[in-house]
Amino acid sequence: MTNTKHNLTSCLLRLVVAGGGVLLFSSQAAFASEASGVTNAAAPGGLLEAALFYFVALVAVVSSLGVCFSKDIVRMAVWLFGALGSVAVMYFLLAANFLGAIQLIVYAGGTLILLVFGVMLTSKSPWVKFECPKIEMLFAGIICAALLGCLCIVLTDATWAGTMQVVPGASVEAIGKILITKYLVPFEVAGVLLMIVMVGAAHLARQDD
Amino acid sequence: MTIGLTHYLIVAAIMFVAGLFTMMTKRNAIGILIGVELVLNAATVNLVAFDRYMGPDRLDGQITAIFVIVLAAAEAALAVGICINVYKNLSTVDVDRANSLRG
Amino acid sequence: MAEHTLEIALAAGVLSPLISFWALVLFGPKLGKPVAGWFGVVFGMGVPLACATYVLFGWMDAMNAGESAALTANAWRGTWAVLGDVPITIGVKLDSLTVAMFFMVTFIAFWIFFFSVGYMSGHSDEVAGQRKYWLFFAYLSLFAFSMLGLVVSSSLVFLFIFWELVGLCSYLLIGFYFDKPVPQYAQMKAFITNRVGDFGFLIGLMLVYFHLGTVDLDEAATVFAQQAASGTGIFASHFTMFGWSLATIMGVGLFCGAMGKSAQFPLHVWLPDAMAGPTPVSALIHAATMVAAGVYLVARVFRLMTPDALMFVSLIGCLTLTLMALVAVVQTDIKKCLAYSTLSQLGYMIFGLGSGAWVAALFHLITHAFFKAMMFLGSGQVIEGCHHEQDMRKMGGLWKKMPVTCITFLVGVLAIAGTGIPGTKIGLGGFFSKDEILAVSYARAFEWEDPERFEEEHHGDGGGHAEVELTKRVLLASDPVQHDNDHAETAHSDHGTDSHAAGVGRIFANTPALPKWMFYLALFTAYITPFYMMRAWWLTFMGKPRDDHVYEHAHESPMMYIPLAVLAVGTVFASYFLFRPLIADAATAGSAASLVMAIDGTVHTPAIMAAHHFLMYGVGGAFLVGFLLAIAIYRNGLAVGDKLKRALAPLHTLLENKYYIDELYDIVFVKGFLLIAKIARFVDTWIVDLIVNLFAAAAERFAAFCGLILDKHGVDGVVNGVAKSSRDFGHIVRLPQTGQIRHYILAATGVATIVFLCVLWASSGANDVAMAATTASLGR
Repeated sequence: MTNTKHNLTSCLLRLVVAGGGVLLFSSQAAFASEASGVTNAAAPGGLLEAALFYFVALVAVVSSLGVCFSKDIVRMAVWLFGALGSVAVMYFLLAANFLGAIQLIVYAGGTLILLVFGVMLTSKSPWVKFECPKIEMLFAGIICAALLGCLCIVLTDATWAGTMQVVPGASVEAIGKILITKYLVPFEVAGVLLMIVMVGAAHLARQDD
Repeated sequence: MTIGLTHYLIVAAIMFVAGLFTMMTKRNAIGILIGVELVLNAATVNLVAFDRYMGPDRLDGQITAIFVIVLAAAEAALAVGICINVYKNLSTVDVDRANSLRG
Repeated sequence: MAEHTLEIALAAGVLSPLISFWALVLFGPKLGKPVAGWFGVVFGMGVPLACATYVLFGWMDAMNAGESAALTANAWRGTWAVLGDVPITIGVKLDSLTVAMFFMVTFIAFWIFFFSVGYMSGHSDEVAGQRKYWLFFAYLSLFAFSMLGLVVSSSLVFLFIFWELVGLCSYLLIGFYFDKPVPQYAQMKAFITNRVGDFGFLIGLMLVYFHLGTVDLDEAATVFAQQAASGTGIFASHFTMFGWSLATIMGVGLFCGAMGKSAQFPLHVWLPDAMAGPTPVSALIHAATMVAAGVYLVARVFRLMTPDALMFVSLIGCLTLTLMALVAVVQTDIKKCLAYSTLSQLGYMIFGLGSGAWVAALFHLITHAFFKAMMFLGSGQVIEGCHHEQDMRKMGGLWKKMPVTCITFLVGVLAIAGTGIPGTKIGLGGFFSKDEILAVSYARAFEWEDPERFEEEHHGDGGGHAEVELTKRVLLASDPVQHDNDHAETAHSDHGTDSHAAGVGRIFANTPALPKWMFYLALFTAYITPFYMMRAWWLTFMGKPRDDHVYEHAHESPMMYIPLAVLAVGTVFASYFLFRPLIADAATAGSAASLVMAIDGTVHTPAIMAAHHFLMYGVGGAFLVGFLLAIAIYRNGLAVGDKLKRALAPLHTLLENKYYIDELYDIVFVKGFLLIAKIARFVDTWIVDLIVNLFAAAAERFAAFCGLILDKHGVDGVVNGVAKSSRDFGHIVRLPQTGQIRHYILAATGVATIVFLCVLWASSGANDVAMAATTASLGR
């Protein structure tokens, strides 16, 4: 890796290209999932859907591992983009279209940009690396591997009571209704929280006078 | 070949662990933040998957996922603000050097 | 004519100043000094004036074609919101009064805007160190928007909204030079005084909303009349206050708003001080339009007034017109003199409305707007020309330097004095309008027969009407034809009045006669008005220059005297022939079906006829008496005036101090408020604090005792021991606290994983693995 040759522009370009790719991909996936949602009702567990899932899962896993193993903070952000995008596609596959859209807008569109800005604002050069002691890496690896193992054992052993296939998703209207009826109070509280966060973020990031 | 709940949960578990690992091994504050985002995403995937498979007509999981996303966005905004402040004061975002409270 | 054309034109006229306002606010600073002003003139008032002219002609056509009633009925209105069961309507009130007012406001305002460009070019536009030229025109535009909106609104709620907006604009414009203390004080005074009145308005509005169940002006009037006839709704309430029924309180409440805006007697104090604002503002807002809004409001809610409420209106109007005219006599500041004259004239209008002279009062409103705006602009020209000298005692002989101003001002003086030739149709606006108000009040005061006796005579079946209820209305004349025949021989057109055929007025069964002293006061003031106006004119323009410095620099500029000339022409010609018929037309709908008789002064009921005969020369000649007296006294400067002043020293002092009302308010409200504050402080310091301090002292003693005996020997030993041991423990615990996030996460995850592993191991092989795992992780 010849990081020194990189500059910010090329990196951002790559970011944009990657983002565009994910968007394009996810929009196709959304159509596909809609189509498969229709076929699902007749023939559950279509091959197309399975193939799509495995592909997306692969992207998600690879991106996640990319996040945790890359040393370069900008690369981490790009990998995160992949992970977030694939999660969005997963939502589409789960027929949670609204959440998928939210995921793309809020995470891919908002949070990630915020992170990239954070990277740019806080680095003397965008590829600053801080190495972690090897011994800690080892401990972390062991613990994480153990945890993952436990989780996998539990998950594969468990039997779940619910339906074993995705049914066509609820409409946005239903989500909207439940949001302002049953979940009205959390909804309002979230609004207040966002306002507080806005004020707080503005306060934190202000120029000192 | 049916894609069941377990498939999603395992993907989520991998993402979760990857996020944890990121949080444990990165010294860059923003890197830690990225790890947190991964963990939150894994949790959201779990929520949505359970929602869709266990009670498709209840929507509770999806709503919770929405709130998680909202909180994640809020948290990211604040955390980046804090990072920038830390950078202003310490000229670095290395969390190992942000230890003045240690005494 | 296409449907709704007139409404659209009116709406365009209302919205154009708003656009102008925003444009000036957003781009004003870039437009620069003259351009921003011209922009304001064109878009703030030019476009509305064009719309108003279009509407005026369209409306005239409709009136001639007999379509005006249909246009009024079909005027656009919609529902803005629904509050409870009551729809808050929004709409355009399209009738002759609106058309007349709209045209009057736009016409006068246009020329005042025009004048403002000239005025501001001679004035500093620096406020608090920033150049605010554009802001002045932005405020003016906003005012134009609010005022036109007020005139056009068909619902009381929107009337109130625009009402508050004009109040705001007045506040902003009085204090345009807010970095100086006097305007700052004046703007606050104006706003707070208006607030008192608006509070009453709000109460009235709530009563309308609550009891009549509608806020639309026309609907409210209909409902009110129905409730009055059937004794239901607001008339069913037994609530009384000061001997007023709830219905009366509603009317009085609405009138309170008018008292604030139109500066009627107890709330008049703000208007003279408002003269601290720029002169165009005084002319536009505090003479011609905004202060007239109160009168307009009373005219609009005339149908919601009970006889008692109108009697109150008359009383207030009568007090205002007399007291303020007397104060005007002793004023030496030219603008203050005009301000008090405005107050007096507003009093006339309110008095007229209270007495039932609906048409005359509104006609007076319009004529007054013309000549008073013109005179204010004239005074602005004088002040500007004399280098900001406002004291009339230092002027004199200015006619040589400012001929146009002098002549136009004289036209105003003649108009306000009611100059005309009795017995003919020749005369200026004030001649007709004031005379008509007086004629009607005369009729109400002297020729008013006891309603019940009157009724018996005219109906011949008094028995049937003996139990006439408070709310029952009967026709004044049951047979208009016969009524006309009775007076056919007297149907002539003397005294400048038209003989209208429809001679039917309505009378409220218990409408009381007007107290005679009210008429005498109004008549007396008709003699005062020409005196003080002529005094002002003579002192300013005639005689010998009394201050050479002022005289030498005096000049006038075309930008400023063109509007003067235009308004003077308007004063002379437009008023009677244009506006009188319009308002008379509005009266049929505007005051019809009201509980109180609205008397058209030109209709020849016996009472009015008698009044006209009596007043023809009594009032018609008043201006001559007043003028001659003023000229006689001030012909040779101030000497005679000063002699009189010394002779009548106590009276002069009283008038010069404006009856000490400001001082009274200062003592009662300002000082009273401070007194309450002081009492509160006293209670706080001596009673509350005393108790608190007592407790504190007691607690202190107790604490000292505990500290000596128990603390030092017993507790401290234990505490120190605990502290020492916890510090030692803390040192041990601190070891793993590295202060690094990574380590914490690592540790937390590690522990979680170990617990996880343990649980898995303990329940391996069981079916409820998942459940156990879930429980375990939740438990953590």
